[in-house]
Amino acid sequence: MWKDFVRGLWADNPTFRLNIGLCPVLAVTVSALNGLSMGLATTLVLICSSALISLLKNLIPAKVRIPAFIIVIATFVTIVDLVMHAYLPDLHSVLGLFIPLIVVNCIVLGRAEAFAAKHSVLRSAVDGIGMGLGFTWALTLLGAIRELLGSGSLFGMALLPEGATTLGIMSLPPGAFITLGLLMAMMNMITARQKKTAS
Amino acid sequence: MNESLRMVVVLAIIGMVSAGILSVVYGTTSVIIEENAARALESAVYEVLPGTASVEIIRRQANELRVDDPKEMREAEQETTLIYQGLDAQGNVLGYAFVGEANGYGGVIRLLVGVDEATDQILNVKVLSHSETPGLGDRIEGEGFRNRFVGKTVEDPITIGQDIDNLSGATVSATAATDAIRRGLSEALAAYRGGE
Repeated sequence: MWKDFVRGLWADNPTFRLNIGLCPVLAVTVSALNGLSMGLATTLVLICSSALISLLKNLIPAKVRIPAFIIVIATFVTIVDLVMHAYLPDLHSVLGLFIPLIVVNCIVLGRAEAFAAKHSVLRSAVDGIGMGLGFTWALTLLGAIRELLGSGSLFGMALLPEGATTLGIMSLPPGAFITLGLLMAMMNMITARQKKTAS
Repeated sequence: MNESLRMVVVLAIIGMVSAGILSVVYGTTSVIIEENAARALESAVYEVLPGTASVEIIRRQANELRVDDPKEMREAEQETTLIYQGLDAQGNVLGYAFVGEANGYGGVIRLLVGVDEATDQILNVKVLSHSETPGLGDRIEGEGFRNRFVGKTVEDPITIGQDIDNLSGATVSATAATDAIRRGLSEALAAYRGGE
């Protein structure tokens, strides 16, 4: 059970290790708060859809499992979208475009297909939490780095004095690729070191 | 049950349950979403018309309404110019505000512009929503850019490069915002003054 949880955080981190669902990773991580919110929204969808799909796995005929999974996922995403629009309108105005795209995020369908369809409800939910939080910390870290270098602030709080030089490119798509590439390289380095000391 | 029938039945049930849940969620949230939007717009009116104590909404139709034709009703509704009139505590008209829209770099830019009742000069501009590039185009939200419009009237060109300075690196966004204000101002003025 514990393994199901931690796998998503590091060893099978969806962003840095599995390299799936990168579209929102690159698009919304302009600021730390955007990354965190997108991560948590995805986590919520992931937990709910993994648990429900695991519950329904014996009822759904194998041939129509993909459309069935997509309907379940799309339903949860739409609920998150509407609730966010109603109760967190400011956040929704920033993330609005990307919330519906959680439907096609490969992490959600990927976990449904690879894990939830084969394991118990509880393990699937725990796997969803682990994967979701792994995705969340990756997005938050990426957002924090880009916000700090691109806008000189962190979680909306200005850290650099007014007029300080910032790297505008970090707020733009190339900044996302550069940061993601460097972070992946760092993670690979850490993992390689760990393997060396282990062996 | 044969297999293909089972596939159809299962998918249909999942679809129906999903539709049922979503219609309930939509029903409860759509009311709040509309209220939020209306409240956000009204509070923005207080910002662009300093000293406003109450807001009145004035509707001006571009065409006469023919209530018997629903399609025409909808079209007329779209052509309706909504003008927000700001009144002070004594009920005197301070000015009016209108929503201007134009396509920017990343989508529609919506701005609220407050105009002085006596002089027809722009008092303040507020960006309601936009999807411009963070760090570049989103500087149209900044005070430095918005203040470039203060004091302008419909007589002014309100054009980038003439009386409005550009934002370097954000030409498309700045031009769109300026166009929205220029077009909106003449429309709103015509609608507001024309109906009196």
